[in-house]
Amino acid sequence: MAGRPIIEIENLSHTYMKGTPMEHVALKGANLFVEEGECVAIIGHTGSGKSTLIQHFNGLMRPESGKVLIDGEDLSNKKVNLKTLRQKVGLVFQNPEDQIFEKIIGDDIAYGPFKLGLPLKEVRERVKWAMSVVGLDFEGMIDRQTFALSGGQKRKVALAGILALKPKILVLDEPTAGLDPRSRNELLDNIKRLNKEEKLTVIFVSHNMEEVALLADRVYVMADGTDVLNGTPKEIFTDKEKLQRYHIGTPESVQVLYRLTDLGYEVKTDAFSITEAANEIIKVLACKKECSKHVQRI
Amino acid sequence: MSSEFEISKRITIGQYVPTGSFIHRLDPRVKVFAFTILVLAIALNTSYIGNTIGLVLSLYLFWVSKIPIRYGLSGIIPAIPFIVILAVLQLLFQGQLFSHGKVYVDYGFILITSESIRLVVVSAVRFVEIIFLSSVLTLATSTTELTHSIQSLLSPLKKIKFPVHEISLITTIAIRFVPTFAIEMEKMMKAQASRGADFGTGGWWRIIQRTKETFPIIIPLFNIALSRAEDLILAMESRCYTPGGERSSYTTYQIAAKDYLALVTGLLFAILLFAYPFPI
Ligand SMILES: Nc1ncnc2c1ncn2[C@@H]1O[C@H](COP(=O)(O)OP(=O)(O)O)[C@@H](O)[C@H]1O
Ligand SMILES: [Mg+2]
Repeated sequence: MAGRPIIEIENLSHTYMKGTPMEHVALKGANLFVEEGECVAIIGHTGSGKSTLIQHFNGLMRPESGKVLIDGEDLSNKKVNLKTLRQKVGLVFQNPEDQIFEKIIGDDIAYGPFKLGLPLKEVRERVKWAMSVVGLDFEGMIDRQTFALSGGQKRKVALAGILALKPKILVLDEPTAGLDPRSRNELLDNIKRLNKEEKLTVIFVSHNMEEVALLADRVYVMADGTDVLNGTPKEIFTDKEKLQRYHIGTPESVQVLYRLTDLGYEVKTDAFSITEAANEIIKVLACKKECSKHVQRI
Repeated sequence: MSSEFEISKRITIGQYVPTGSFIHRLDPRVKVFAFTILVLAIALNTSYIGNTIGLVLSLYLFWVSKIPIRYGLSGIIPAIPFIVILAVLQLLFQGQLFSHGKVYVDYGFILITSESIRLVVVSAVRFVEIIFLSSVLTLATSTTELTHSIQSLLSPLKKIKFPVHEISLITTIAIRFVPTFAIEMEKMMKAQASRGADFGTGGWWRIIQRTKETFPIIIPLFNIALSRAEDLILAMESRCYTPGGERSSYTTYQIAAKDYLALVTGLLFAILLFAYPFPI
């Protein structure tokens, strides 16, 4: 896939609380390249600088040193139009339900579009579209009170609030953290659909390897403020030596397959989607039956 | 280039900077007591010399505590507009109350005398000294130590049914959560800016617009504060906290020679600033 580069980050560094005793280097020489239409996952331990990195995408943070190019635009340039940039790059923070402040769902989703100065009719269209994308019933939910929603519904509202800006690039910080399994799956489906059907470029931070294996075209691994590894999920999850070196977890499916190889069975360890892994296990089971029959006959 | 959203960096209250200096290692009760009498003495001193001594002393304490003076100064910067406005108002309108001394300007209701100038200069310097002193105290004392000492210093008041324990707990929690809410506020500003919010754009005279701009931050912050408070209650109750209950303490403090030294020094300076008749 040789798409157009849409995010190019080179040698980026950032220090928090600069000039105080609490000074803390969060990024040192990080790199990241994303092509238009890709779905990229960023993984890494807590404190490795993932959130700091993604806050550079929409100009919440300016490059202290290094280069940040978003859709060809250099963010070191002070004259960058931040409003347009933030419309283009929709950033969904961790626990985005905290940011809901209007009483009515519709008003909260409409906040961004109104801030863009769009006419009422257009705003309404966008709210309707955003709600349908995240799976909220427009007629039934638009006038509902925001405080009485469940956690999963609140997160949908928050996501819709960003989608209503019609971004080209969607960035999500640990989007499924703290969600119940059902809301989680719905959210993942939505993200997948936005990437595949609406052609949004998606970048998400995650600690859940199943999620990463399921959604991502490519994975970046962060450690100590830099990118230490990147590749397709297949490349990352089959590199046993690096998995251990950087303490990267693997999807449960891969763990099962690794265990089976350790026990001496011949399975492919790069089959980490649930169905592929299941097929491998069935093969082992089938062989076992065959083999044991064989043993009995002898 | 720093971020436009770095609020927490500018807030020095409630931060603890462990450098392990002499001041850090003092008995917190002695520390709080000594700083309190020093602040009181400075607040009551109106002489130029006295306040110069106070200023030098508070700068010296920064040096002793090994906390970068630059960091202490950053706590002053947000207060500068207030200091300036206060100074201008005092200079223009307080002359009538200080009409003794040499008269410099007498124009309508504006009267500027040597005494009113003294008031202006001394108030401004005093303000800086007090911010410095309280910064050294809070930067060099952990919150737990602060609670302990406030509680034990106020304990005589228990006799008159003053809620000592409650007051010290409330004070501690308030101080402790200043940096936490600064971080939450920073996060909220970023989150709302990500969906197109802008802050402090319209001119200051467009009060209604400026006020409306703060809703997307204030309302979620209230929610966060309330849920934090609930968490805190749960955390405290699950560790058997009961209001009014008698509590023992993990650390007991022994007053040592260095504490007496600090106490005597603090007292000496306080008495000097309070009682010595400085010529100017
Ligand atoms: N506002 C802040 N002020 C000071 N330090 C921070 C701030 N935000 C994050 N950090 C520090 O920067 C480092 C990287 O943080 P972050 O980018 O949030 O990591 P991640 O998202 O990978 O967990 C952490 O050590 C964290 O403590
Ligand atoms: Mg994070």
